Amino acid sequence: MNKPQIDKKKLEAIHPYIPAAYELLEQKRISRREFIRTATLLGMTAGFASFAAACAGAPATQAPPAAQDTPAAASGIKRGGVWRASMRLQLLDHPARLSWVEGANIVRQTNEYLSETGPDNITRPYLLDRWEASADVKTWDLYLKQGIKFNNGDTFTADDVIFTMKEWLNPDVGSSMLGLLSALESSANIDKVDDYHIRLHLNTGDIAIPEYLFHYPAVILHRGFEGDIVKKPVGTGAFTLQEYAEGERAVFKRRSDYWQMGADGQSLPYLDELIFVSTDKDAGVAALQSGQVDTLYDPRPSDFQALKDVSGLTVRPVSTAQCLVLRMRVDLEPWSDNRVRTALKLCQDRAKILQLSYFGEGALSLDAHMAPIHPEYCERPIPGYQPDEARKLLEAYAAEKGISLPLKVTLATKNDQAEPEISQALKELAAPAGFDITLDITDPGGYWDRWTEVDLGITSWTHRPLATMVLPLAYTEESIGAWNETRWFDEEFTTLLRQAQATLDVEARRAIMCKLEDIMQDRGPIGNSYWKNVWNITRSEFQNVKAHPTAYYLMNDVWKDA
Amino acid sequence: MARFIIRSLIGTVVTMLLVSATLFFLLEVGSGDVTVKILGIESTPEQRASYRAQLGLDAPAWQRYLDWLIGNDRRASTLVGYPLRTIKNEQTGEAEWWADVNGQFTRWQLKEGRLFELRRQPNGSATEHLTSGGWEADETGAEVFWGVDRDNRAVKWVRGSGETVWIRTKAGFRREGDGPREYIPLRKGLTRGDAGQSLQTGRPVAVTLFPRVRNTLVLAGVAFLIVMPLALFFGILAGINEGKPLDRFISVTSLGATATPEFVTGVFLILIFGVWLRVLPAASIFTSADAIFRDPTLLALPVMTLTAVELGYVARMTRASMVEVMAAPYIRTAIIKGMPYPRVVLRHALRNALMAPITVIMLHVNWLIGGVVVVEVIFGFPGLGKYIYDSAIFGDFNAVEAAAMLTVTIAVITRILGDLAYTFLNPRIRYA
Repeated sequence: MNKPQIDKKKLEAIHPYIPAAYELLEQKRISRREFIRTATLLGMTAGFASFAAACAGAPATQAPPAAQDTPAAASGIKRGGVWRASMRLQLLDHPARLSWVEGANIVRQTNEYLSETGPDNITRPYLLDRWEASADVKTWDLYLKQGIKFNNGDTFTADDVIFTMKEWLNPDVGSSMLGLLSALESSANIDKVDDYHIRLHLNTGDIAIPEYLFHYPAVILHRGFEGDIVKKPVGTGAFTLQEYAEGERAVFKRRSDYWQMGADGQSLPYLDELIFVSTDKDAGVAALQSGQVDTLYDPRPSDFQALKDVSGLTVRPVSTAQCLVLRMRVDLEPWSDNRVRTALKLCQDRAKILQLSYFGEGALSLDAHMAPIHPEYCERPIPGYQPDEARKLLEAYAAEKGISLPLKVTLATKNDQAEPEISQALKELAAPAGFDITLDITDPGGYWDRWTEVDLGITSWTHRPLATMVLPLAYTEESIGAWNETRWFDEEFTTLLRQAQATLDVEARRAIMCKLEDIMQDRGPIGNSYWKNVWNITRSEFQNVKAHPTAYYLMNDVWKDA
Repeated sequence: MARFIIRSLIGTVVTMLLVSATLFFLLEVGSGDVTVKILGIESTPEQRASYRAQLGLDAPAWQRYLDWLIGNDRRASTLVGYPLRTIKNEQTGEAEWWADVNGQFTRWQLKEGRLFELRRQPNGSATEHLTSGGWEADETGAEVFWGVDRDNRAVKWVRGSGETVWIRTKAGFRREGDGPREYIPLRKGLTRGDAGQSLQTGRPVAVTLFPRVRNTLVLAGVAFLIVMPLALFFGILAGINEGKPLDRFISVTSLGATATPEFVTGVFLILIFGVWLRVLPAASIFTSADAIFRDPTLLALPVMTLTAVELGYVARMTRASMVEVMAAPYIRTAIIKGMPYPRVVLRHALRNALMAPITVIMLHVNWLIGGVVVVEVIFGFPGLGKYIYDSAIFGDFNAVEAAAMLTVTIAVITRILGDLAYTFLNPRIRYA
């Protein structure tokens, strides 16, 4: 009768999302098949996944979940209601030109993406039915879902996708998709095989094409798009845009003929209306506390502190690959010496830094730019605080150079979310090791003007779904002059990275990632104490709300339990 | 009097010119690259350069200032070769530019290397016609064409310029890269009532500015109507009771309220009425454009904050002025001759005592309209002060200029009103 128990720690070691998926399976909220698919995508072996799935067959001691806990239960879902958010609204014309997530949260209600990277950081087909990549990952076949209609009645076909891709690749449009899809080179490399099948020919292999297709400016436009989505808001999405006033508000109404079906058998969405009101964060916090809005876009840590205990609000944390990188210029003294770099890395008391600068709301990190939420992440022990080791390294360096400790260095950063606290903590933590750190903290604009130039600095890096998407940006020889702020590159690292970029299989990629992480820890240019959490804070009557690492609002199946 | 008003008007125009020029050059120096703010740091330098050109920001500064002031449609018209006209688009409510080609409103579009004429129909739509002629050789021998594009710009297309990218289509191969090479975003200029496009919103400045001005006028008006009578009343009351406990109480309380910064008062009011008691909206959340009229309670906390801050200034000014006047010999005479006390105060003392407060009040009208940024930020109130602040941070020249011109005008009008009020209060004052 006794079923073997699955150790959730073991599951977590494979990927941080797997325990959550396992819980969903235990509560019968996802199917066994879905769990296995997710778990294997995340790097669990198929055998172990099936074994775990078999174990999850709801232990007899556990009561079956109540209907309210099961969003998928058709009986519990209510339709109707208005959802109001506080979020800044700025210029919005050409979605491909978007450079801010807030604008993407507007267009994603009316227009949709080919793929979707979910809150679990896994990318799945969305407007696409499926994709296929060649062995060298240079040829990508994209198969479109059929029977989807735009809100003007037109049928969604390959022509719309090709039109949109051409807009991305047109330099005059100014889309950041142009840089991401550089391997595509020009629109001549997009083939329309038939009305629902497109083939992309890349110059170099790239496994991240599905992730790029969910980059926030990548919504699919109608083939007759004329450059301003506000004037002609035609899309396949679940809502229609009623009003958009920059700096004021955006209003959406439910569309009645949307292609996705809800759990109750009728078409989505459940909500009748979405209203975004443009306010500053402080006003948004007050409005959320007094019940004037239902959610606040991307709360800051201080907002989280203010709101976490307010009754009637539900806080959903999600771990991200956002981090504050302590980076050292390896082309300048003293950081050109690996002993000095290692010494400073050893001076990070990660738990303390996380506590002091971010209220303990994050996951501790290696000194490498790969996060546990990345599917290919390779588990390694988190280094501890070792000031004595650090001092030995620094003494050796000082003796060789004929200088005396303490070593005077200047740490530059910006007074943004948590940087001043990190730098202050590091100054104190590194003093026993023989560092004398002077702080040079400016406003964010002042730092972004010189972020690639300072000797020693703390730079904030945003979330990207794959480690292979971020590493080429900052840790290769080609990226010097662009985003390689440390000037560090390493032959072995680059070779392995190129291999990883061409390896579609997650398990094989993880094996490479283990080596890459070790290289970065051994001789890399960065220290990294933690990965930030972000929070979705929404009034508790809203169900099916998903906290997304990049604060995306996915509203299709949210419903209000009024 | 007429001479006074004319002189004021001339002074106003000169002031506006100086303010606009100063602002223009300050923004020019201080605001950095706007295209990075629009396209993001991931955009390439080529993309930014192209976008700068599309916005007309590659023209020299003096040219852009003149365009802003007097418009550029005449200049563009000589290049295009036809008169340029604006027509209101019924659907969007925004003005569209068309070339008047012998009575037919026309725009042009370059598609797949071929030039199309878009002829406007009476219902606002346009029909496409392939055109062959119109290309002219310039001094370098390249074939160029000046026309009006669909985004309200005069545009120079150059045949065969730009990088040539061969695109495979169903019909065979075609060459891409005949894109426009020079842009003049068309505008009439402020002197003809066109404040231009906001860089931050991509819409005409007027579209976003006027709702803000309306909100601010409502807020400032309500605050003014509440603060000023109260302040004058308490000021007079304190002034005629100088040194008595009532005076002490009014003075200390009003000083305390004024000395407390509005961000402190505002936050306390939010915490008490919005979060704890939940009787008033904590923030000014406008879920519709006319929310302020549908739900006037949205104004309650901002007005209370402004009242707390403003009351003390004017009350103390009135008190001091009142005290001074009440000590004047003519008041003593009036009291001694047996005139009823209320009549002494209202008829004799008040008129003279109001001279100083009127000056303060008129200055505060300006402050209420353009300067209550802090209060607007605390409550998220979509008003003019925050509009100016956001635009200035973004480097949105057209928006800042339009808002500044408006506040200058308001400042001048309130000054004139203040001056007229002086002549009413003290008939000895004459303007000539």
